[in-house]
Amino acid sequence: MLPVVVVHGGAGHVPKEIAELSTIGVKEATRTGYAILQKGGSAMDAVVEAVALMENNPRFNAGRGSVLNVKGEVEMDAMVMDGRTLDSGAVSAVRRIANPVQLARLVMEKTKHLCLTAEGASKFARSMGVPEVPEESLITDYAKMRWKKNLEPDANPVECQMGKMGTVGAVAVDKDGNIACATSTGGMINKMEGRVGDTPCVGCGGYADNNIGAVSPTGHGEAIMKVTLSRLILFHMEQGKTPEEASDLALTYMKERVDGLGGAVVVDPKGTWAAQFSSLQMSWAAAQQGELHFGLYHGEHFVEPVQENI
Amino acid sequence: MQHNNTIKDRHGSRLKICLVILRTFTAKDLQPVKILLNPENRASGRPRMKTVIVVHGGAWAIPDLLAEASMAGVKNAAWAGDAVLKNGGSAIDAVEKAVRSLEDDPTFDAGHGAVLNVDGEVELDSIIMDGETLATGAVASVRNIANPVSLARAVMEKTDHVILTDRGASMFAERIGIPVADDLVTDLERKDWEQSSSYPVGVGKLFNTQWGHDTVGAVALDSLGNVACATSTGGIRNKMVGRVGDSPIIGSGGYADNRSGAVSCTGHGESILKVTLARLILFHMEQGKSATAAAEASLQYMGERVKGCGGAIVVSSTGDWAASFTTPRMAWASIKEDVLHCGLNPKEDFTQMLK
Repeated sequence: MLPVVVVHGGAGHVPKEIAELSTIGVKEATRTGYAILQKGGSAMDAVVEAVALMENNPRFNAGRGSVLNVKGEVEMDAMVMDGRTLDSGAVSAVRRIANPVQLARLVMEKTKHLCLTAEGASKFARSMGVPEVPEESLITDYAKMRWKKNLEPDANPVECQMGKMGTVGAVAVDKDGNIACATSTGGMINKMEGRVGDTPCVGCGGYADNNIGAVSPTGHGEAIMKVTLSRLILFHMEQGKTPEEASDLALTYMKERVDGLGGAVVVDPKGTWAAQFSSLQMSWAAAQQGELHFGLYHGEHFVEPVQENI
Repeated sequence: MQHNNTIKDRHGSRLKICLVILRTFTAKDLQPVKILLNPENRASGRPRMKTVIVVHGGAWAIPDLLAEASMAGVKNAAWAGDAVLKNGGSAIDAVEKAVRSLEDDPTFDAGHGAVLNVDGEVELDSIIMDGETLATGAVASVRNIANPVSLARAVMEKTDHVILTDRGASMFAERIGIPVADDLVTDLERKDWEQSSSYPVGVGKLFNTQWGHDTVGAVALDSLGNVACATSTGGIRNKMVGRVGDSPIIGSGGYADNRSGAVSCTGHGESILKVTLARLILFHMEQGKSATAAAEASLQYMGERVKGCGGAIVVSSTGDWAASFTTPRMAWASIKEDVLHCGLNPKEDFTQMLK
């Protein structure tokens, strides 16, 4: 059953042509992560590479293609977590970085801290030699159009957010049984400057523990935080639930208790995985035993050989 | 703004009464039933919970020099929170009041008296959470605000967001008219900062020897059965610019849920984050553990799994409370039914009748 990698490109509801590009994106990220695992690479390497690839893909709300805050600027959140040691690294409200997920990994590996925010994160990036990229390189025409649209007084950014594939994330178990998760996002459309969502918060935007499993969620960040969604799913797994049952229980609870929609990709130490969502769609893909699984709508589950289309 | 809050509270209380009555038919525990049948409560016309407030002034190696001031500070904060609850105030009002009192006290590392980062600046983190709705507000790395807990509450009540960070938090503070405070640094802290050479030394000293400060926090249960938590901190001395600890992170620095209880944590922030300590304690309580057993099991796990020390204060939605720590000391105080408990050293529990 090992290794395995599961990737999501955000929960929401998007037009068909964008959905197709999202599916292509998550499949590509999953193949990349899986190739690393098959060569004996670590779960951490696999999730970071898979997420970095989606950050570079303008189709996703992370890195290039991020949604804009109310001032029309890009502020991004990302986190990684290593299930062996529970070490974690995160950046919040960071600007002008191409790959926040890699910066989050550097926070984990090169500092004594878990989370660096805003200017402090930029300062750290400079000290690590991470290049600063022009803000314009992260902004797509699509993001600009949606920002303008949501400046109108009767706009509903939360609803509109669900009209775009959101956050990206990945979970993996490597051949040695080590587990990791990574999540990255541009956040919520027209958010206030300095707004931090669930993504960089341990237990909310992700959690990985070799003894239980790993989760990377997506959806309405404020709702995810209020129920600490990642840790909640793993808590249900500790109580004997499968990844699928645990995700469904936690997502149903999130809907009932705080009226929030979302989704999650989950693995357990044996390699059992799930990709569940309460939103209309979530683009997801998983690779295991030479097979690539993927889907977009509820009940959709396609399988093809991993090698195909390379 | 005050006026609006009062109206909201009044509507809220009607709803809450219905909930308590419903619970008597469905709840697993018998506590609410007992309260309904209590003649004293029946006489007052509505079921009322026995209120609880618990506060902490940080878990670390508190030096003897600060022991007395720390004890006085947590007792004052508990009194302040208890007064709110006695007057029929909400749990969220009580924890805000108690934490403001600790932030204003220069003995503690929050608001006035906060430690300095590696550049010699104050950066503050805070969270507040309402157990009835799970509504939460937090600020991270905010500068020059005397009472970050009140700014966190404003994030909860006046924005669609949960956390605001750095400049965004300052801009929000300015917009809602919270004044800039430039007197947060004490002479003692400036001197200590100049002497302490680097962050790793800072961590060693804070948690293993005698110098430093730590987080403050409060949890409360009000007469309507609502719980809340609040936590506020200046973080760790010589931290990197922009370092965010556990305090503003929901589930780590604090969590409150009427279905289980409320927790506020203190100690080594990075360790608390790795085990999402506040939420972990409440998971144990959901499984039937007492507040004390849940806090102790979680702190022991944090020690074993990530080698971190810390402390937590807990109140369950039925009024069971705890103050536990694995650090050499934690200043804490609680008030329930006019009895004040407080302590500083392990296994210490002084009691004082307030009537």
